[in-house]
Amino acid sequence: MACLLVPDLPAVAEVRAHPELTGLPLAVVSEPGPRATVLSVSPAAARAGVHRGSALAHARSVCAELRVRVASPARERAARDALLDVALSASPRAELATPRAGARAGEAAVHLDVSSRPSTCRSEAGLATALVARAWALALPAVAAVAGSRALAALAARCTAAREGPGATCVIAPGGESAFLAPLAVDFLDLDDAPAELLTRFGIHRLGQLLDLAGGSSWRRVTTRLGLELAEQLARLRGEEGELPIPAPRSGRIEESIDFEASIDNLEPLTFALRGLAARLLTRLAIRHLACSEIEVALVLSDGARDRRRLALAAATGDPHVWLRRIRQALESEPPAAPVEFVALAAEGCPARRDQLDLFRPAGPAPAELDALLAELEALCGPDRVGAPRVADDHRPGAFGLTPFGPSPGASAGEAPRASVAALSVRALRPALPAVVRLRAGRPAWLRSAVANGEVVRCAGPWRTTGGWWSEGQRFAFDAFDVATDDGLLVRLRYDRLRHAWEIDALYD
Amino acid sequence: MVAPRRKALGDPLPRASTPLGHPPISAVINPLINPLIKLGGGLSEAPARLATGLEPVDRLLGGGFPRGHLSEITGPASSGRTSLALALSAAATRAGEVTAWLDAADAFDPASAQAAGVDLDRLLWIRAPRVREALRGAERLLTARGFALVVLDLCASEASNAFLPSTWMRLARAAAASGTALVVLGRDRLVGSHAALVVDLRAIRLRFATSPAWLEGLEARVALVRHRLGPSEGFAPVHWKVPPFARGVPARAGSARGGGGAGAS
Repeated sequence: MACLLVPDLPAVAEVRAHPELTGLPLAVVSEPGPRATVLSVSPAAARAGVHRGSALAHARSVCAELRVRVASPARERAARDALLDVALSASPRAELATPRAGARAGEAAVHLDVSSRPSTCRSEAGLATALVARAWALALPAVAAVAGSRALAALAARCTAAREGPGATCVIAPGGESAFLAPLAVDFLDLDDAPAELLTRFGIHRLGQLLDLAGGSSWRRVTTRLGLELAEQLARLRGEEGELPIPAPRSGRIEESIDFEASIDNLEPLTFALRGLAARLLTRLAIRHLACSEIEVALVLSDGARDRRRLALAAATGDPHVWLRRIRQALESEPPAAPVEFVALAAEGCPARRDQLDLFRPAGPAPAELDALLAELEALCGPDRVGAPRVADDHRPGAFGLTPFGPSPGASAGEAPRASVAALSVRALRPALPAVVRLRAGRPAWLRSAVANGEVVRCAGPWRTTGGWWSEGQRFAFDAFDVATDDGLLVRLRYDRLRHAWEIDALYD
Repeated sequence: MVAPRRKALGDPLPRASTPLGHPPISAVINPLINPLIKLGGGLSEAPARLATGLEPVDRLLGGGFPRGHLSEITGPASSGRTSLALALSAAATRAGEVTAWLDAADAFDPASAQAAGVDLDRLLWIRAPRVREALRGAERLLTARGFALVVLDLCASEASNAFLPSTWMRLARAAAASGTALVVLGRDRLVGSHAALVVDLRAIRLRFATSPAWLEGLEARVALVRHRLGPSEGFAPVHWKVPPFARGVPARAGSARGGGGAGAS
């Protein structure tokens, strides 16, 4: 079993949400106002003499540079979940320890079953080091310990944290439990008042003395002499009491949130806060080798209203830049109705999309990047104005369609043969421009319009196109001419037989 | 002192060290290596080109439009500007590349593009409502990378002074970073000195068949106006041929008048 432990979670959660506090003396207090109590302190604050449980006024008098933050349950929950993500990256069987009360209320621990070690770690020591490194990557200064039982691993982690500080590891080899426990003070057992007083009365200060006292005695005798709580703790430390198996992993949904001390009414600072939030969320996913294709953005506004949006990409990605652009584009196109007080990002982890690139064909844009690009372009130009063009299955002149753009990586049509002749294309005029036309012998001889004016020097046509006769609103009937005017333009002129009007619908170019 | 040092560098293995009268190793290897070194240097300097598929135009441009640079196609209406850009897009998409068409004029015709040989699945059409959105879209497309060609259709834009010079500088830099050929389509020159290549098209002759009356095509001249990466003069003739569009049934001549003559004035 292994235990990953963060000794001062409230302070760690604050530093994780506000990296600018790193290395500064920080105290997390229970409530706003001068009567607050210090719940958790950063290492710098502890060195300056600020202790847990002291009054805020006292803490400020001890350390003038002390930064104070009010405890945030949302941030602490996110930090705890992040710790669990680290554990799940090494073992599918991991669970958070129940939060403790009293002096160890700020402690967060996660237990994981490492009986089947990941193939990437060659030893228990390597596994412990990997766990600590992954926790650091999520801005969680943790301690890792590996031992034969859950209680012993937790005790070893707590002891290592007290002795060596965050980042240390401890491995208790099988058979080495007694040697490890013997010199430890009984305070590490975190006993209630009654058993602690009992041990003091017996003159027992080290765990070794306690183990000697209980050694060789029957369970009943130990229980009678030391009480049930102490007896159970000793049994757990010695691995004599069976521990409940760690349950199967939970779902892949993770959440990161931040609440602002002052509400934010501008997109720039909101995006700045979201950048850190998205980075933390996606790093947590990445540690579990996951990405996400959908992110839920939940905003709590200053008027109490809630703004919840689901942003999706067709391809799952763990790239924070792509997601940040997507979130920003969504907020820009539809800004929140009021200043923002709280923001949360939640995502369901899923395997990242893998693309098989072709050595001999152009790669094209990356799928995730393309998705974000299309979303931005749609926000910029309109949702029905971006896509792959389609020639509509319709005889109506100029009919076209747009389909979602997604170039397949499959075979292309092959390189076109080189030629000296190419197709003459038209530029569509949407809507068609009205024209005034004079006829000579039933054919256009002169025209005036917004694009072409003058004598018609050459004319071909007409070509009749009719359709939609079965529906009154869709009927069309045109006689089309290709007309060259003396100002050098070549246009597609048509006579609308239903409206009895001339118009230019395209320009040869 | 310089001459002896050069001599020493030029002949590191003096003849005295080669036994049995063999030539020095450098004399054997250098003639083999030097052309390779020159070839490698030449390849790294030449920009990759995106061919149009039109033999005379590609020859004129030295292989096609340069990737990673901003180019311009100018000319009056009905000169074949759009046809040249579509030919370029057709060649790129047929080679498996992905292209984009930023349409600030809303004049792109999918049927024409298909007739020109464009693989429509590989063409992203953006119908920008205004020029401002088209420019922003172009910058974003270049940032995304992976597009071989981005055509910015500004034929409806009036004058070059409507654009800030910094706009083109930014787009040129983005094109260089992404390796995309950015082609601006306009009536007059808009980009100025930021364009690596400018070609101007002029219609020379319209080709109409007489019996029956039928528009066959257009003869145009592609003139090289500016070419920072090669010879900057020359022209090439190009023939544009009208593809067989679905025209419906030929109507009786004079039938337009049969509609009541309301169109006549």
